[in-house]
Amino acid sequence: MLLPKFDFDEPATVSEACEILAEFGAKAKVIAGGTDLTVNMKKKLLSPERLVSIARVPELQRVDASSTMLKLGPCVTIANIAESGEIGKRWGAICAGAKALGSPLVRNRATVGGNLGSARPAGDMPPSLMAYGARVVLTKKSGQRVVFLDNFFRGPGLTEIAPEEIMTEIQVDAPPPHAGAGYINLGLRSSCDCNIVNVASYLVLEGPGGPIKEARIVMGCVGPTQRRAVSAEKALIGKKPCEALFTRAGEAAMTDSTPIDDFRGSAAYKKEMVKVLTRRTLAAAFEEALKS
Amino acid sequence: MAAKLVQLTINDKEYDIAVQANETLVDVLRYRLGLTGTKKGCGQGDCGSCTVIMDGNTVNSCLVLAVQANGSRITTIEGLESEEGLHPVQKAFIEHGAIQCGFCSSGMILSAKNLLDKNPKPTEGEIRSALSGNLCRCTGYQKIVEAVQSIAK
Ligand SMILES: Cc1cc2nc3c(=O)[nH]c(=O)nc-3n(C[C@H](O)[C@H](O)[C@H](O)COP(=O)(O)OP(=O)(O)OC[C@H]3O[C@@H](n4cnc5c(N)ncnc54)[C@H](O)[C@@H]3O)c2cc1C
Ligand code: FES
Ligand code: FES
Repeated sequence: MLLPKFDFDEPATVSEACEILAEFGAKAKVIAGGTDLTVNMKKKLLSPERLVSIARVPELQRVDASSTMLKLGPCVTIANIAESGEIGKRWGAICAGAKALGSPLVRNRATVGGNLGSARPAGDMPPSLMAYGARVVLTKKSGQRVVFLDNFFRGPGLTEIAPEEIMTEIQVDAPPPHAGAGYINLGLRSSCDCNIVNVASYLVLEGPGGPIKEARIVMGCVGPTQRRAVSAEKALIGKKPCEALFTRAGEAAMTDSTPIDDFRGSAAYKKEMVKVLTRRTLAAAFEEALKS
Repeated sequence: MAAKLVQLTINDKEYDIAVQANETLVDVLRYRLGLTGTKKGCGQGDCGSCTVIMDGNTVNSCLVLAVQANGSRITTIEGLESEEGLHPVQKAFIEHGAIQCGFCSSGMILSAKNLLDKNPKPTEGEIRSALSGNLCRCTGYQKIVEAVQSIAK
């Protein structure tokens, strides 16, 4: 499989990259690790006239976990996130997502920005980032905007990013006291597969042991984009956390999901797994909330 | 679509080479430089037969644009042998019958070497996880894991 022909730019700064994108617009495409884009180009699903590599722009590779907000450069690799102690300490479910992605070889090149930019319904990074309420900063020559991940995905392979924009930062607030999160992905093998269902849950408790003040449950693989399990979240608010409650939330999440039959599994099986993973990730989130 | 001049340090030797933007690192290694020890199986990141070590980390060279590798240090299977002979990982693979057809071996050995460089005493779980991006259709993996374990001890 050969790549179609294209021109190549390797800007050194964000502003230089924005200049190029302003000039070439939809004819150009940003490339970070290339683990998604090159495969799509080899399959001739995409053939941009120009690739703009942002992989070596230093300002896009920073991780700042020192304050009350995690600031992640989009070009931080999945391997670095998986191994990061400072991210794991407060945002463990993000590391869990990173550890589940691809193989060691893929993780060494793949970036978090590329995972969001590729907008796969089965992607490993969106659920936990959305569960923590993450936002992305989109930058173009004439300015910047901040978009919540909840409003970022538009469909398989489609996002809010306009042709002249670059994602320049991912922002995640630090969880308050008595909060926790969990992420579980179900696949056929532990490496290099595509998820059948993946779920992330996030809980904030009023105090040690409950009741539940805030809940966010995000499901992957059960619709054209990641989905919030809205009725499951509602069922949790104000209640004292326990296994029975998490089971009821899992049942509610089934009604929030709209999976399809495909070679990875039947819609009925995926719904059943939404129930199980919702219950398990809520239990993991609760356990972490008790410790924090 | 002019060619771009890139500088690659491959197995401690410097190369200045003009590449097209759409050439992948595996194709440059194999077809331009004749380093055919690096194999190309699927061409899309699934099999790991194209594994090389780039700036200290294993990568699928079929997914790396040669222009994006500019300035990098790369180790291929050809770089493992020294004056003292084959690399210990290569010897272990031979001694333990961890090579059959050999198509996965370059990638498998480089992933194993990179693991042992970073973690000289990996557990069986760590070995299996580190090799999980490298597929082998012949050996059933057991002998490969045993070969790596024999050096880890
Ligand atoms: C063998 C294999 C296994 C895989 N397994 C998994 C898996 O288990 N889970 C999973 O989620 N994914 C998986 N992937 C998909 C892929 O590796 C990930 O989505 C990865 O995170 C993509 O990152 P990248 O830097 O390589 O993206 P690229 O390929 O460089 O880019 C992907 C898309 O995002 C856009 N983009 C990237 N960065 C930016 C930015 N900063 N601003 C604007 N647009 C941007 C690009 O234009 C492109 O459209 C796998 C891929 C392979 C080849
Ligand atoms: S040829 Fe690169 S992973 Fe298969
Ligand atoms: S020895 Fe044949 S693929 Fe591994």
